[in-house]
Parts: sequence; structure tokens; C-alpha cells
Amino acid sequence: MSQPDHEAILDQISASKLEASPELRARVRAIATSTPPEAPRRAVSWRRIALVAAPACLAVAAAVTLAAGVLDSGKQRPTQAAGRERAATLSASADQAIPAPKATRTGSADLPSTSGRAQRYEAELRLKVGDLSSATKRALRLTRDFHGYVRSVEYGSGAERGSATMVVRVPVGSVQKAIVEYSAIGQILDQHVSIEDVQPQVDRRFRQMQAQRDAIAKLQAKLESPSLTPAERRVLENRLVAARRELVALQRAQAALKRETSYATVSLDLRSTEKAIVVPDDPGRIGRALHRSGEILADEAKVLIYVLIVGSPFFVLGALAFAGARLRRRQSEARLLSTS
Amino acid sequence: MRRRRISDVHVVAEVPSFESVAKRHLDDVHAYLVYMTRDREIAEDLTAETFERALRQWRRFDPRRGSARTWLCQLARTIALDHFRAEQRRRRREGAWAVHQPVEVEDGLFGGLSPELERALAGLSAGEREVIALRVLLDLDIETAARILGISPTACTTRLSRALKKLEERMNADVAA
Repeated sequence: MSQPDHEAILDQISASKLEASPELRARVRAIATSTPPEAPRRAVSWRRIALVAAPACLAVAAAVTLAAGVLDSGKQRPTQAAGRERAATLSASADQAIPAPKATRTGSADLPSTSGRAQRYEAELRLKVGDLSSATKRALRLTRDFHGYVRSVEYGSGAERGSATMVVRVPVGSVQKAIVEYSAIGQILDQHVSIEDVQPQVDRRFRQMQAQRDAIAKLQAKLESPSLTPAERRVLENRLVAARRELVALQRAQAALKRETSYATVSLDLRSTEKAIVVPDDPGRIGRALHRSGEILADEAKVLIYVLIVGSPFFVLGALAFAGARLRRRQSEARLLSTS
Repeated sequence: MRRRRISDVHVVAEVPSFESVAKRHLDDVHAYLVYMTRDREIAEDLTAETFERALRQWRRFDPRRGSARTWLCQLARTIALDHFRAEQRRRRREGAWAVHQPVEVEDGLFGGLSPELERALAGLSAGEREVIALRVLLDLDIETAARILGISPTACTTRLSRALKKLEERMNADVAA
């Protein structure tokens, strides 16, 4: 018998007739003509859900952004002067110099300290001045006029540019007026005012002092008792000395704090060449809405990036687990088919 | 024939009736399962089971994703694998008591092939017979066969080539003997 070749084998297999028996044919016909069972519910595929959910999420995000932008845009800033204040507190990075407006002189740094309360008042002013020397002299003169004093001065002047930095202390009662006067020396580049209320600290220390006074009075009363043994008397005297010492320390700290809060610290930075800031014009409601929408979109993008960064290891792990399970299933199938 | 709306862009595809599909592809599914199981009775049971399941899942059939024959072969394969798993479990359970019997292959099981070829085919593994059935007997293209097997077209070609080589070797050995 001759050796079978490759093509002959293929021809023989493809020409073979392997038909179902009449019984199987009848069986399958009966199945095919029977009524199919009711579908439980229309199964919605994940692909379809994703196809609907992704644009829906985007639409909701866009709607929220737009709505928030429009709603926020209605909140007008109180005054144009306030807008200038806000702009003036930003670091100077503008292109054009503007003269210090009258509104600034009475507005931007016009944060009054609350009378009757102990507060730390600190102000920083950066000004563009024409003549550095005369501006510095004027600032020093103003400080003296307000019964303040100079804590430090640093003055440097070159051929093209110069700067003077000074820290002055001005009585809190005059600080508002002083800041307005300082601001008038030049054009405001930057300014910052901070007020820290230390009244609770003063009150607490006052109560501690009262408690110490009471304790001292009690110790003195006990020491007047004739029935005390020498040892007891010595102990009480020691405690009395310690309590008096504590009271003195508290009184000194209180006095120091009061002295500190009676003067405001004003840092003046005078520059002879730096450009002043430009106060942007009010962009209008549509402009504000667009600006706000942009901000919200940026926030949403940040959240999305955050979720992606945090979730990516989990996505990768999930994908690896899925691929591993699939590989394992295929290997098991291959083993099964090779042994069957 | 019934019409089914298959997408939201109003593309309408013709979906044949299940009855006509069953009638047209019964022999193919049966032949595929005979090749896989080497047993006509088991193949008939599995064929009937395949069409029962196909009827239940007929709503899920999407002609855009492949032909009805491909879909039926995929179902038949799943059912055959379930059968092999059950058999494997049974053999494992009964292994301690049962004596392993060589599989008796009835004459003309593969539809009138030469006795050497029948014997050689029966000696192949289910996986090897399966790829021969899909590519040679049912004449499926390489992509469709690979899709049914769940492997890449390259792997499918390799598997077929190895199976045919093995088949040829077995036949040559048989003829030589």
C-alpha cells in the first residue's frame, strides 16, 4: 500500500459525508419549532451602558460647571475700589504703572484695628517712588509725626535703580492714617495688612494673675495663724515666694504684650524703578461666568487626574487579574482537549 | 425572516429564523462534535443540547459579530468542554475502581474515510481533531476558526499543521505495520 500524502488526507476529510441521523434531525426540528422561552429582561450590555453613561457624565459636568459659573458671576464685588484693593494685594507683575488713586489712599490698607481690644497689627507696603531719597526721608518724617519710631532702615541706591526697606512702629490709634500717608508717597506695587487678635491671651493672663493674687492672699492668711509649726511656716513661706514670683512674671508678660499691641508694625519697601500693577477692568457678567466655568472645569480635571492616578494601580491589577484568569482558563481547556 | 433593529443609527440587518438556521447547520455542528468526542451517541446528545441552548440564547445572536454557523460552533465547543470536564471528574471519581478501557471507535464514525485515516484521526487528541474539523471539514477560514478556538490565527495555523503532521505520521506508521 502506498504512503498517503498530505493533500490526499485533506481531500479525503473534506470529501467525507458526516450527516446527522434522522432521529437527531427530528429531535433538533422539534427543538427549533418549539416556542423559545421568554426572555427574562432585555439585557443591556456594558458597552451600551458605557456609551450612554460617558456622555451623560460629561453633560452633567458641563451643566454643573456652566450653572455654577453663571450663579457665581452674579456676585458682584462690592465696589471698584475693593477690586483694586484685591488686585493691589497681589504681587506686582503688571506691565503698566498706574498712579495711586485716591480710592486706594483711603481704601486698600484701611483696615481699622478694633479699639479696646489688644491686637497685633502688621502692614507691608511696597511702593514705586520717583525720588528714592526724598521718599525715604518723607517716610521717616511721617513716622515721627505719628509719634512712632523706626525699628530698622536699609537704603541702597544705584545708577538706575534703588530701594529702601524700613520697618517702623506706629501707635495703633494712628496706623490707619499713617498707612494712607505712606501710600501717598508713591505708587502701590503690593500691600498686605494682617491683624491678629490677642485679646483672649490678655484675658487669660489677667485671670491667671487674679488667681495668683487670690492664692497669695490665702497663703498670707495662713501664715498669720499662730498654730503653725516652724516647718509648716517654712513651706508656706516658700510657696508664697514662688506665687509672688509667678505673679510678677505674669505682670511683666502682660505689660510686654500691651506694649507690643499698642504699636503697629509697618514694613515699607520703596523702589525707584519697579513697575506698578494694573487693576483689571470689571469683565462683566458673561466674562465672570466664563472665567468661573473655566475654574470649575480645571477643578474637575484635577479630580479626574487624581482619580486616574489613584485608581490606575487598581485598574492595572484588575486587568492583570482578568488576563491571568483568561490565560488559566485557556490552559485548562488545552489540557482538557489534549487528554480527551 | 424577521427584522431586528440592531443599532441606534437605524441600520437594519436580516436575521434568519432559528428554524432555518438549525436546519442549515445541523450537519456541521454534528460533524464538529463527532470529531471532538469520537462518539456518535454523545455527539448527538451534545448537538441536541447545543440547539436547545441556541434557542434560549437566540435573542443574543448578532449577525454583525459573525455568522450563525460560527456562533453555533462556539456554543457547541462550550458544551463539549463542559462534557469533557464532567467526564474528567467522573473518571477521577471512579478511577480507584474502574479499569481503564481503550476507547472503541466504531467503523465509519468520521463519515466514510479510509480505515487507516479513521484510526489515525481517532488517535489524535480532541484539540487536534477539533482544528481539523473546523479548518478542513467545515472549511472555515483561519480567522473564524481561531475565533472559535479562542486563539490567534497564527496559533491556529500552527495547531493545524502539527495535527496534520501527526495524522500523516500515524497513517504512515499504520500502513507500514
